[in-house]
Amino acid sequence: MRRLKSTVRAAVLFTAGTFALSACSAGSTSTETAEADTSSITVALTGEPTNLDFTTTAGAAIPQALMTNVYEGLVKLDQEGEIEPLLAESWEVSDDRTTYTFALQEGATFSNGEAFTAEDVKFSIERVQSDAWASSLKAKMNVVDSVNVLSDTEVEVVLTQPSNAWLFDMATLVGAMFDPSGVDDLANTAIGTGPFSIEAWNRGESIDLAAREDYWGEAPQVETATLRYFADAIATTNALRSGDVDVVYNTQAPELLSSFESDDAFQVLDGTSNGEIVLSMNNEMAPFDDVRVRKAVMHAIDRQAVIDTAWSGYGTMVGAAVPPTDPYYEDLNDVYPYDPDAARALLAEAGMENLDITFTVPTRPYATAVSEIVVSQLAEVGINATIESAEFPAVWLDTVFTQQNYQMSVVLAVESRDFLAMFNNPDYYLGYDNSKIQGLAAEADAADEAGYIEGMQETVRTVTDDAAANVLFLFPNIVVAKAGVDNIPANSVTEALDLTSIGWK
Amino acid sequence: MTDHSQPERVTQPASGLVPEAPPLEVTPATAGRRRGKPSVTLMIGGALVAVVVLSALVSFFWTPYDPVQAFPADRLQNSSPGHLMGTDRYGRDVFSGILYGARITLLVGLIAVGIALLIGTPLGILAGMRGGFTEEVSMRAADILLAFPALLVAIMFGAVFGASTTTAMVAIGIGTIPGFARVARSGTLQVMSTEYVLAARAASQNAFRIAVRHVLPNIAGIVVVQCSVSFAIAVLAEAALSFLGLGTPPPTPSWGRMLQESQQFLDTYPMLAVWPGVAIAIAVLGFNLLGDGLRDRFDPKLNGER
Repeated sequence: MRRLKSTVRAAVLFTAGTFALSACSAGSTSTETAEADTSSITVALTGEPTNLDFTTTAGAAIPQALMTNVYEGLVKLDQEGEIEPLLAESWEVSDDRTTYTFALQEGATFSNGEAFTAEDVKFSIERVQSDAWASSLKAKMNVVDSVNVLSDTEVEVVLTQPSNAWLFDMATLVGAMFDPSGVDDLANTAIGTGPFSIEAWNRGESIDLAAREDYWGEAPQVETATLRYFADAIATTNALRSGDVDVVYNTQAPELLSSFESDDAFQVLDGTSNGEIVLSMNNEMAPFDDVRVRKAVMHAIDRQAVIDTAWSGYGTMVGAAVPPTDPYYEDLNDVYPYDPDAARALLAEAGMENLDITFTVPTRPYATAVSEIVVSQLAEVGINATIESAEFPAVWLDTVFTQQNYQMSVVLAVESRDFLAMFNNPDYYLGYDNSKIQGLAAEADAADEAGYIEGMQETVRTVTDDAAANVLFLFPNIVVAKAGVDNIPANSVTEALDLTSIGWK
Repeated sequence: MTDHSQPERVTQPASGLVPEAPPLEVTPATAGRRRGKPSVTLMIGGALVAVVVLSALVSFFWTPYDPVQAFPADRLQNSSPGHLMGTDRYGRDVFSGILYGARITLLVGLIAVGIALLIGTPLGILAGMRGGFTEEVSMRAADILLAFPALLVAIMFGAVFGASTTTAMVAIGIGTIPGFARVARSGTLQVMSTEYVLAARAASQNAFRIAVRHVLPNIAGIVVVQCSVSFAIAVLAEAALSFLGLGTPPPTPSWGRMLQESQQFLDTYPMLAVWPGVAIAIAVLGFNLLGDGLRDRFDPKLNGER
């Protein structure tokens, strides 16, 4: 009897405690929403930039934080990928499509107080072409012949030949406008014309952006925006649940999404993506200098299985490094169907049965997830891949990307329309011999729109036939946010995370 | 310490021992025979360790599936006769991974403890016998090393030499040295003050001979205990390192990494975390209990309590 009583008492206490706890958490959630500071927003990201200088340092984290927020170009892309004016109020294109005349915004200033003028346009474009820029993306500016200052607010850019890609590229990081007096220490200070300036950079933790009071255009919705960097994907979603962050951009924990989808306190957006998960093979180093070995790898990997296992089914098969949102997209998934026997036959033909390779895997959630299934599938066709982990970004960028000292790696390439940057440049870390596509690409760029699409498609097919890289899948750009966050730029149209319009409902 | 323990030992009931024998001159080989039945702790500890060792041995000859081969179609299955512990996100058999993981766990433990044993023990004996400057230098060095948790040393090593099982083993081993050095030194100090060592020294036996003939056999018991306890710590450290991605690189199964990979599935497939968690718990508990049981037998200080 006595025991029963105490059991009952314990049960009552337990139930009461549980109610109290749940009431507590419900209460705290609602107060949080009520008290939420609508003048600031905190976005969780994984993978901190190594420095702030995208002119010399590769890695998408830098332009993601800085482009359109701190630095601006003459034009920008809207969420549908259409080119719209930014620092250039308007522009005219000559009939032969080689001369662009831009009319610039008046009253735009850099965050150091300097006025933005046509001279800055000339300086910035010519700087991309000079040795000051070391980024592999600088090739996008090769087509520019000369930049002529017509007046303070008028500038003329002359191209060597008509280009379909150039104006689009001007909306990406190569089009960023710099002040001649603000480029001395790009690695640590960023001076641009954008709506935000960098308030603080707490290394290893966050970048704090503050809205500029003297911004020339429409002020952003929030006064401060914080980009918080986390070491792993689960930490980002935990931070969202605990209220430390408001938005998780480009979520890297797909398994956890279902619990957010069913919770009204959060919203889950699946935006378009420019990111391809590329299984890169060093085209210049044995054994992948042999096209048969590369083709064997293409056949050896069941890309749908990679999506299903490593990324819980989120992701799209694309077959080449061209996302479906690009004008010259073409479904090339059937070129290399999953066929282990064909892979084995190709390896036998190349005399490479029982091949041992090193697989350098950057320390990113997607990379480690993908690597294990890839290793297993390669083993099935007789390629024994040993995983070597490389800290990302610093170590990976140095050994794989810069020194090209690797056999196989895997990375997420997020730059928009980056196909030619990846394959039409023999110095790029993939080491693809571009002699076959160089002429094709140049012709396509100069052709009319139909010719552009046709020419680019042929270029892409040529590269695919050479099995230059195995594009495993198109990375989903999934954003998880508190329900109250408004105007989230979920579509990843450039590498920039555009914070100019994000705010609260 | 010596002064304190000596009288205690004199008053102890002589449970069939030769009472006048110097208490410390009990070698491990004879100790087992002289003291009754093994304790429950020792038996449970021994049994758990045996399970881990057996799993590792079995994995050399047989695992239900290849632990690294993915079968995407069979992904994320619950326990079934075909897959005793289910499958992970890649469709790999968890049971096979656990068996194979025991191998890595034991390997890391053996090498790490081996390094600490071979470096720490001689260092401790040297410090205990020589005293003075040698003692000061080696013991302060051990103190400094002790100030760095083994895990921190391992993270540092991982950053410098790259993450691998070898780095983890060496780093954990180095981090474990001070424990052995301290234990060996305190034991040596005790032995050095006994009459038979004084006699040996009076007979001008050289120091090395004294170390090997008298000191080593007499401290062997406490060193074995230290081995077992350190083994438990090494197992836990390896799991922690693999969890952090600084230990055994994928795809080689390791309990720590299996635990890490299961993180995302805690909501949906909690058993994925439970299996490696249980395996780590069994190994750590086993070696700890084994250590406790062995201490009950070997540690002279605990004699009176039993």
